[in-house]
Amino acid sequence: MKYVLPLTHPLLAVENVSITLSGLKILDDVSIGVPEGAVTGLIGPNGAGKTTVFNVMSGFLTPDEGSVRFDGKKLKHIKTHHLTKLGISRTLQGVGLFASLTALENVMLGGSARVKSGIVADSLGAPWADSAQNKLRAQAMEIMGEFGIADSADRYPGELPYPVQKRVAIARSLISDPKVLLLDEPAGGISASDMAELGRMIRSWTPERTVLLVEHHMELVMEVCDLIWVLDAGKVIASGTPEQVRTNPAVLAAYLGDDGGEH
Amino acid sequence: MTNFIDYLLGGFSNGAVIALMALALVLVWRSTRMVNFAQVGQAMFTTYVALTIQQETGNWLLALVVAVGAGAVLGVIVFFLVIRPVKNSDSTGAIIATFGVLIALQAGAGMIWGGDPQGFIPPVDNAGLEFAGRIWPISLYDILVLSVTAALVIGLTLLFTKTSLGLSMRASAFNPEVARLSGVRVNRMLISGWAIAGATGAIGGVLIAPVSTISPNSFDILLVFAFTAAVIGGLDSLIGAVTFGIGTGLVISLVSGYSDSGNAPIIALVLLALNLLLKPDGVFGHHGARSV
Repeated sequence: MKYVLPLTHPLLAVENVSITLSGLKILDDVSIGVPEGAVTGLIGPNGAGKTTVFNVMSGFLTPDEGSVRFDGKKLKHIKTHHLTKLGISRTLQGVGLFASLTALENVMLGGSARVKSGIVADSLGAPWADSAQNKLRAQAMEIMGEFGIADSADRYPGELPYPVQKRVAIARSLISDPKVLLLDEPAGGISASDMAELGRMIRSWTPERTVLLVEHHMELVMEVCDLIWVLDAGKVIASGTPEQVRTNPAVLAAYLGDDGGEH
Repeated sequence: MTNFIDYLLGGFSNGAVIALMALALVLVWRSTRMVNFAQVGQAMFTTYVALTIQQETGNWLLALVVAVGAGAVLGVIVFFLVIRPVKNSDSTGAIIATFGVLIALQAGAGMIWGGDPQGFIPPVDNAGLEFAGRIWPISLYDILVLSVTAALVIGLTLLFTKTSLGLSMRASAFNPEVARLSGVRVNRMLISGWAIAGATGAIGGVLIAPVSTISPNSFDILLVFAFTAAVIGGLDSLIGAVTFGIGTGLVISLVSGYSDSGNAPIIALVLLALNLLLKPDGVFGHHGARSV
């Protein structure tokens, strides 16, 4: 798929966002659009502001200026716990799993917002609360089966190999059936073969789902992305297809100027 | 030997109430990572409410139910008025705030119900049961206390392990931001934690009142024992709180039986100190569970 910039109707976008944290301008008039049904990459040297863009999109940070638009609507005061209801799901750098919950419980938690039984029903152990919970459990097991991690369901994250933990984290994001997945460095710390598998998995989600990917591994980004945005020092310095970005002089300069510390 | 068995048996029902108070402390710890020293004050206050209901209607069950509701509401009130404003400050601020609530509740109870100890009539006989030719140090009322405690512990365990609410509460306690990303309404979970803790403490208060008496300060000593049990149990473990709550009850009974009941709090503090020296994460605690 080819995307012509500027995008006419991005599914998710930050528009003219600026944010200053403790005197530092982290994002400076950043506008980024994510087209529906595609995989969009967000890359840049360390400290470029990539995760900050995610934090703005997920309501962890409120921008000083600018806004977030989803499905054509401006989102004011994003409440993080509303994101899954809107259809936006985010994974975190590392794995972000709950160490004191089993892998299955971690995955179930991702879908628990859709279980509507209510506090009173839950407290009284009402039968309908129970059946909703059983349905959620079955659903979580199904997704874990698809990911080949069903046998790890009752283990705690600390007992599982890192690549399996990563899959648990992705399964947790998928169980809420999101329209948009925000993936923050999903390839961090996994092997080359696991990375190829991850790339296939991400592609397989489109065009039903939309993906925004922050990633350091350039080969993965170049392989799976339809469109790439490049941030450097809080500003968008380039955007386009992987081919356009790869040959963009400003991108090369930004990466070479970064002590060669990037992949 | 007969003495030993009698002292041991006599400690169970007291231990059950300590377990309930320890549970309340653990529930608050799980939701907001702080020790609520006002917990026994809240329980004392709601027990006075129960006493008033019982004096007016003579209905113990009604008194218990009203106390449970009042306990939950009071927990939520304390959370909103006092805890939420200091939640993000350092932990010392929160500890001082909970002591402030304790003192305010004791003063308030004194103004409303007076400072004199009052009796609380048990719903069933509290005399030792006669069985196999002798009188045992366990009464019908003790059996009621143990049954209510067991039912509550089972209910709470099911709530935390089998329901969506329980799952969300555990997740919120551990990592609020990640829980929010999963769609959990974290603030609601904190409030639920305080409400359930308040209700649990209220049940403990109503159950202990007939055995002791009730006055604004009568539960203070319970705080020492419950805190000891909760900390030794690992602070975030329900099973730890129950095990060591009952264990503390037995130790107190033995110490009181063989020496003097005035020594019991000292023994509790010795146990607490030993625990902190030997196993600072608590017996049932995960490593790091207590780090804020």
